[in-house]
Amino acid sequence: MHRFLAILAFYKLFVVWSFIVTAIIGFFNPYLAPAITTKLFLTIFAWYYVSETPIKRKLIFYKNLGITPFKLFSIMFLVDCFLTIIFLTVFKEFT
Amino acid sequence: MIFELDNVELYFKNKRILNGIYLKAETGKVTAILGKNGCGKSSLLNIAFGNLKPKYKLIRLNNKPLLKPLYLTGFVKYLPQNNFIPDGMKLAFVFKTYNLNWNTFIENFEPFSVYKNSKFKTLSGGERRVIDTYIILKTKSEIVILDEPFSHLAPIHIETVKQLISVEKKYKVIIISDHMYQHIIDSSDTLYLLKNGTTKKIENLTELEDYKYLSEGSL
Repeated sequence: MHRFLAILAFYKLFVVWSFIVTAIIGFFNPYLAPAITTKLFLTIFAWYYVSETPIKRKLIFYKNLGITPFKLFSIMFLVDCFLTIIFLTVFKEFT
Repeated sequence: MIFELDNVELYFKNKRILNGIYLKAETGKVTAILGKNGCGKSSLLNIAFGNLKPKYKLIRLNNKPLLKPLYLTGFVKYLPQNNFIPDGMKLAFVFKTYNLNWNTFIENFEPFSVYKNSKFKTLSGGERRVIDTYIILKTKSEIVILDEPFSHLAPIHIETVKQLISVEKKYKVIIISDHMYQHIIDSSDTLYLLKNGTTKKIENLTELEDYKYLSEGSL
C-alpha cells in the first residue's frame, strides 16, 4: 500500500498538466479512445523527459524499492486513465 | 554473498572514463573505493546498481553472472551523491515505505524525534543526508552501495554512521566511496584506488601516497 502511495506521490508531479490536457480534450473531443491515446503518448513523453533530465535522480527512490521505471510509468498511466475516464464521463453528463 | 564487478568499460561520447575495472566485495567486509574528483567513482557505483549502462560490464553474484540490472534483484540499496528521497514526502511515510521503525531510528538520532511528521525538504542538508544514509543502511538488503555517506554530516553523526556500518557489515556486502579518506580507511576492510580509469587494490596504505592520491606524510 505504501509503495502504491509512493507512486502516487510521483504522479503528483504531473497531475496538474494531466488535468489541463484532459480539460482541453474534454472541450474539443470528449471521447475516451482519443483521450486515452493522447495520455499514452504523454506518459511516454514524460518517461523520456524524466530519463533525459536531472529529474531522473528521483527514480532512485523507486529503484531502491524494486520499482522499475516501466512499472512506475505504467501504474501512473493506469491511474491517469482512470481519472481521465471519470472526468470525461462527468463532463459529458453536463454538456 | 560475493559481489564482483568486472570488465567495466565506460565512455562519455568518445572519452574513455573507465576500463579494466575489477572490484570484489563480500558479506562481512566493507569495500571502499577512493579516487580523485572526476575519476569515475560515482559512475562506477551507478553502474554497479544498474542506474548507468556502460559499453561493457560483468557482474557476478556468488560467481554467477548477472545479466539484468542489480536493482531488479531486490538485493541492493544505493545511496547516491544527491538526496534520493522526494522533497514532499513526510519522514514517517518514507520509513513505513522502506519498512523501517521510526523509534529505532530515534534511539540513534534522538534530535530527529521532532521531525517524524515533517516533510523531507524542511530538513537541513546535513539532516537530510543522515536520513538518506540511515534508510539505505538499515533497510533489508544484501548489498549496500554508499556514495559519499559522510558528506555534509556533523562529526557526531559521522561516528554514528560509522557504527551503523560496522554493525550492518556483518549481514551485508557494503561498498563505499567518499573523499573523507580517514573515515573511509577507518571503516573499510578492503580498499581500491580508482586511477586512470582502472582499479588498483591497495594492500598497504602507503601505496595511496605512491599513487599520488595522498600527499607525502598525510597518513
